[in-house]
Amino acid sequence: MQGLYYDGLESTAHPAEVQLEAGNLIIEADGQVLTWSATDLFVDVHADQARLSRRGSDARLVLPASDWQRLSAGRASLRRNSAAGGRGLVIGLMVAAAATALVVFVGMPMASGPLARATPLTYESQMGESYNAQISVIFPRCAGEEGQDVLQRLADRLSAQSGSPFPIQARVVRAPMINAFALPGGHILITGDLIDAAESPDEVAGVLAHEIAHVERRHVMQSVWRSLGAGMLLDLVVGGGTGAGQQAVLLAGQASELSFGRQAEAEADEIGRVLLHRQGLSSRGMGDFFVRMAEEEIDAPDQVDEVSEWWMTHPNTERRIAAARAAQQDGASALSQQEWETLRSTCRSDQGEDARRPRLPIVVGRPRNDPMPNEPQQVGQH
Amino acid sequence: MSPRPEVLGGESPIPATADTPSPEPASDVWNAEIEPGQAESIGQRVVFSTTLKARDFLKISLVNGFLNIITLTLYRFWGKTEVRRRVWRSIRVNDEAFEYTGRGKELFFGFLLASLLLGVPFLAFVFAVQFLDERFSLLLLPLYLFGFWLWGFGMFTAFRYMASRTTWRGIRFVLFGSASTYGFLWLGMQVANGMTFGWIQPVFERLLAEQVWNHMRFGDRPFRWNQGRSERIGLYGPFAMGWFGTLVVSVVALIVIGVVIAGNQALFGDLFNEAQAGAEGNTKAGPVSPEFLLVAMIYGAILMLLPIWALIWSPYHAAVLRSITAGISLDEARFDMEAGALSLWWLTCTNIVMIVFSLGLLMPLVQARTARYLARRLRSIGNARLDEAHQAPPGPRTAEGLADAFGFSLI
Repeated sequence: MQGLYYDGLESTAHPAEVQLEAGNLIIEADGQVLTWSATDLFVDVHADQARLSRRGSDARLVLPASDWQRLSAGRASLRRNSAAGGRGLVIGLMVAAAATALVVFVGMPMASGPLARATPLTYESQMGESYNAQISVIFPRCAGEEGQDVLQRLADRLSAQSGSPFPIQARVVRAPMINAFALPGGHILITGDLIDAAESPDEVAGVLAHEIAHVERRHVMQSVWRSLGAGMLLDLVVGGGTGAGQQAVLLAGQASELSFGRQAEAEADEIGRVLLHRQGLSSRGMGDFFVRMAEEEIDAPDQVDEVSEWWMTHPNTERRIAAARAAQQDGASALSQQEWETLRSTCRSDQGEDARRPRLPIVVGRPRNDPMPNEPQQVGQH
Repeated sequence: MSPRPEVLGGESPIPATADTPSPEPASDVWNAEIEPGQAESIGQRVVFSTTLKARDFLKISLVNGFLNIITLTLYRFWGKTEVRRRVWRSIRVNDEAFEYTGRGKELFFGFLLASLLLGVPFLAFVFAVQFLDERFSLLLLPLYLFGFWLWGFGMFTAFRYMASRTTWRGIRFVLFGSASTYGFLWLGMQVANGMTFGWIQPVFERLLAEQVWNHMRFGDRPFRWNQGRSERIGLYGPFAMGWFGTLVVSVVALIVIGVVIAGNQALFGDLFNEAQAGAEGNTKAGPVSPEFLLVAMIYGAILMLLPIWALIWSPYHAAVLRSITAGISLDEARFDMEAGALSLWWLTCTNIVMIVFSLGLLMPLVQARTARYLARRLRSIGNARLDEAHQAPPGPRTAEGLADAFGFSLI
């Protein structure tokens, strides 16, 4: 059979006579005879050509595909040239993937708690200062200092018997959303819109106690460890690509983080209620607030941006409401009427600046026992 | 009967010899460059052909997608290598196929190396900013610029790796030159583009191509970059068309969107009323909020605008393909890419549709279509001493890790 032989040293084509004898390929080219063992061969048949090579050698033999198929008929042992890898490779990669998944979805979430507790407090404080400086630019502190004092005093009371390793520094901020945040190192931010949307001081106290619990349990630090460890590992494994497989894996990672977030929220609710009860305060406000946020999200889709912001960062609605209702206890009101009015006025002097910001209105129904009957019914729209 | 390769322009795949005169050059540009007698010098004509059928890549697209998912995408290095191998073997010069000799594990180890090189400094930076002193964030700008340089560096090393794993007649291609210089050029392009609103881009397209093609060799036969020939295919006309076209289309699109939003109440009055009624507790609101409709409209508008933007820019991209190809020579052989704006536009649009609706699964199919598009339009005049190349030294053992980390891949 005729073919073309390339010696791997020069690009010159050498016409060759090829035979397959006793498991060896005999190549005669330019008066030389070469013997390639069939067991060493890699064969790639494509279109009208069969390309033969040996591992580690640049030499190539090109034959008409039909001739090669005739010559090699019945020889199943010839290796097909492929980069796809075999079953062993796929199984090995699946094992590596399973190990990675185990680290990402189980190992790091389990380790994040001990890692957070082992993180030096000075590191977390420094990190909190850094976050706080950045977030203060976006969400400035409201100017009503008397109201700020009311909130801080309430925070001091609630955190007095907590195990928080950091002093709690609470403040009301201007932000176009109903939400509250705990930063690393004990900073707690409650938006003016949340205070406006709250119908009683107990609701604000419930939210504040919940955020203090996040600080006590160092949930933010745990999240940092998870994103540094599991998140980066996952990012590294999938690379920077945007294919379907990569997106699916990243989505799975986000789902895992969301699941862990739900556990943290439930834990913060539970500890928050304990903090309220230790001070003899009512914990009914917590459940009331959750229920109303959930109802408003369903009933008023034009508020969806503001209200859903709360649920995006505080998920697992129904279970949390049920838990809040089951564990709630009566007690004293968190603030006096005067303190409550002072707190609600914390962001009022910022109205001018707020008016310049585009925002969505939020409409809430007037409760039967409205503590501020003279307030306009539409709140959140200054 | 075995399939035969598709030969460009219906020409014979049989290599021409010194006794076979070259055909007429494809255009005046080529005529101008060929001196009397040059076309009949020693060497062979370079005739491209392809056996590539895009539909053959459907199965491997699905198989790779499945294996990527069950291996947390770790299989991608082997999948990508197999796609390259299949594309390379489907493109021929003088009826002799190219061969891709890369291995999946080379890509994998390159990726591990790059992860270490990128991951450790990144972690150190995050740690320093978050835990030590926020003034470390001042390093962000230099790191940002370093990232641009690294991107270019990664691209060049990926080119170098791919060249070293490409053989023809058993002889390797090799890319010399400095990845660092390429990185600085890439960085310079980003900065200069920012300062000139993109108007420097055509200049850099050629500068970057020069860095590659002036340092590329087939074995020991050097490719050459000829700036003059490349510049004969003007880029600024099509670029201006794309730039001003984008401006006009964007302004028109904004006006249309503004008018639609202004007329929102009239267009979606019922939905707004329903939502308002729900807010006031009179009735249950509908399931669709006006905000959702607005977002849907914006995405719809972007999807509608994509083909228009692709159409506006396709003359430029086709001109870049022609200009870069025109600047390349091997011995006396020059090259020509007959890429037209409309054909490129159609390829781009259909590729986008395939990628979007398959969520990226059909990427190998898209890459095969693109390779086929280019291979079918690539022509050459003049002779190259294809028979006289000697083997090049082996290429890098691992590579492309940076490119993978950045999500950059030609194919």
